[in-house]
Amino acid sequence: MSHARLPAAVSTLTLLLLAAPFAGLALVTRWNEFGFADGDGNAVAVSLVYSLLALVLIIALGTPLAWWLARRQLRGLWLIDTLLLLALLTPPLAMGLLLASVYGPYGPAGHLLERAGLILTNSAPAFVMAQFYSALPYYVIAARAAFEGVPRELEQIALTLGHSPWRSFLHVSLPLARLGLAAAVALAWVRALGEFGAVLIVAYYPQGIPVKLWVNLQNIGLNAVYPLLWVFFLVAMPLPLILGLAARRRRLI
Amino acid sequence: MRIDYTIEHPIALRAAFDVEGFTVLLGASGEGKSLLLRAIAGLVSAQGEPFGGMAAQHRAVGYLPQGYALFPHLNAWRNVAFALRGPQRREHAMQLLERVHMAELAERYPATLSGGQQQRVALARALARRPQLLLLDEPTSALDPVTREDVVAELIAEVHDFGIPTLAVGHDPHLAAVADRLVLMHDRRIIQIGTPEAVYGNPASGAAARLLGYRNVHRGYVEGTTNAPRLAWPDGGVSFPINGQAAIGAHVDWMIDPAAIRLADVRDALPNAIPASIEVRHVDGRITQLGLRCGQSRLWVAMSDGMQVPESPAVYWPPTAIRCWTR
Repeated sequence: MSHARLPAAVSTLTLLLLAAPFAGLALVTRWNEFGFADGDGNAVAVSLVYSLLALVLIIALGTPLAWWLARRQLRGLWLIDTLLLLALLTPPLAMGLLLASVYGPYGPAGHLLERAGLILTNSAPAFVMAQFYSALPYYVIAARAAFEGVPRELEQIALTLGHSPWRSFLHVSLPLARLGLAAAVALAWVRALGEFGAVLIVAYYPQGIPVKLWVNLQNIGLNAVYPLLWVFFLVAMPLPLILGLAARRRRLI
Repeated sequence: MRIDYTIEHPIALRAAFDVEGFTVLLGASGEGKSLLLRAIAGLVSAQGEPFGGMAAQHRAVGYLPQGYALFPHLNAWRNVAFALRGPQRREHAMQLLERVHMAELAERYPATLSGGQQQRVALARALARRPQLLLLDEPTSALDPVTREDVVAELIAEVHDFGIPTLAVGHDPHLAAVADRLVLMHDRRIIQIGTPEAVYGNPASGAAARLLGYRNVHRGYVEGTTNAPRLAWPDGGVSFPINGQAAIGAHVDWMIDPAAIRLADVRDALPNAIPASIEVRHVDGRITQLGLRCGQSRLWVAMSDGMQVPESPAVYWPPTAIRCWTR
């Protein structure tokens, strides 16, 4: 085999491996008995609406942090890196347990928040919170890399042209980081939507798609999992797909 | 416009001089010239006038960094309009592009423009801000050597046309030669200020002469007696007579005009002729210079018409041709 064809052959093999489970899904789905379990529709709505909410929170809080980390030379940076890594590293189930112990009814923060009327167990806010925690570190790390790719000189030139630092961020940093930011948003969306472990612990209800897949498997069996999984792909895919395509055009933002 | 800036970090630097017309600050790499421009633009912390203590976005300067830093995601007219507001920003940007002869390329993105074209777009963008002072960092460094002189001529014509005092920094003697006013910087100090004619005609030191691009600037020391002083040239491994320009024992920079050097044959055994070997011929238009190896060093000799290159060359010159500066 020539040297030029080796990468192509390896790539083909890798893609085949990647595709195998989904080809399997197409084969094992009973297309003539394709039907949904009770509550599947509700699970789709819960997943979509709350994931979107979590995504908005992640972008709103994660973007300033990512930019700040990309631009400031801090003395204790390794400490922040460690914290981000810790959040990435924690197994989702363990993260759920940690969230429950802090924000649960007997946790220090949960106790206070409950008095203020915010219940972070088996509630919509709890669901959003679990997704927020599991997707935020991915977003921050990806967005930080995107901002680090923007030449600082261009931001400074914007200043010398009479723009405030905020306008310089809006008109230079954001558009120039758009490819990486779009990837970060897509990654956060996928992470939030697919989160199972942390959500299962703090918000068994309301049930989003991942938990409902589990419930269907327990109560009915495998054949009740596949139709909902197809729907999951259908609703989860458009956002990252559109982001990926749009970011490659010149003027997205 | 009077510039007076003091920088402490990352290197200590003080510079005070007037900017009139197209002023060139000439200095070797690492002198802190770019740092000075960034300080005036408000991008690094420093004390000084003008604009002292103001935030970068409030300083009326047009700053063109090395490589021009056009916004890659905006086309030419949007780059220029970046500093403009209001409904007429496109029209205004197009007028500025017209003044720098770039209106036809207004829709093009920076990556598709040549170095000179990018420079003109960057100039239009800087002018859109209505600056009181233009700052150009190494304006010739990103230019194609073949078109450089024309691009610089165009740049200077535009700068004069707009009538804004301009400070260009660099280490390119080509840039210095076209300045209205020249400021030389060495060891982070201003060593000479004046018109190019005055500065080129009378460099204040060996360092100044090197900055200006003069060839044959070397180090040595004066020895012999007051009546018959000689200049020892350690790198060349020789000494030769000079006029009494410096005290005996003084360490000096010395220079000789390539046109003042004469060639002879070693075998003619002229007194004070220095044996040399030819390293390189440098043909520049009608002028040919020979690079001759003398000991550890090199001397450039301008070839005049009818000058013959002997088989085993030696160089000599009248003592009056040597220019000395005490170090």
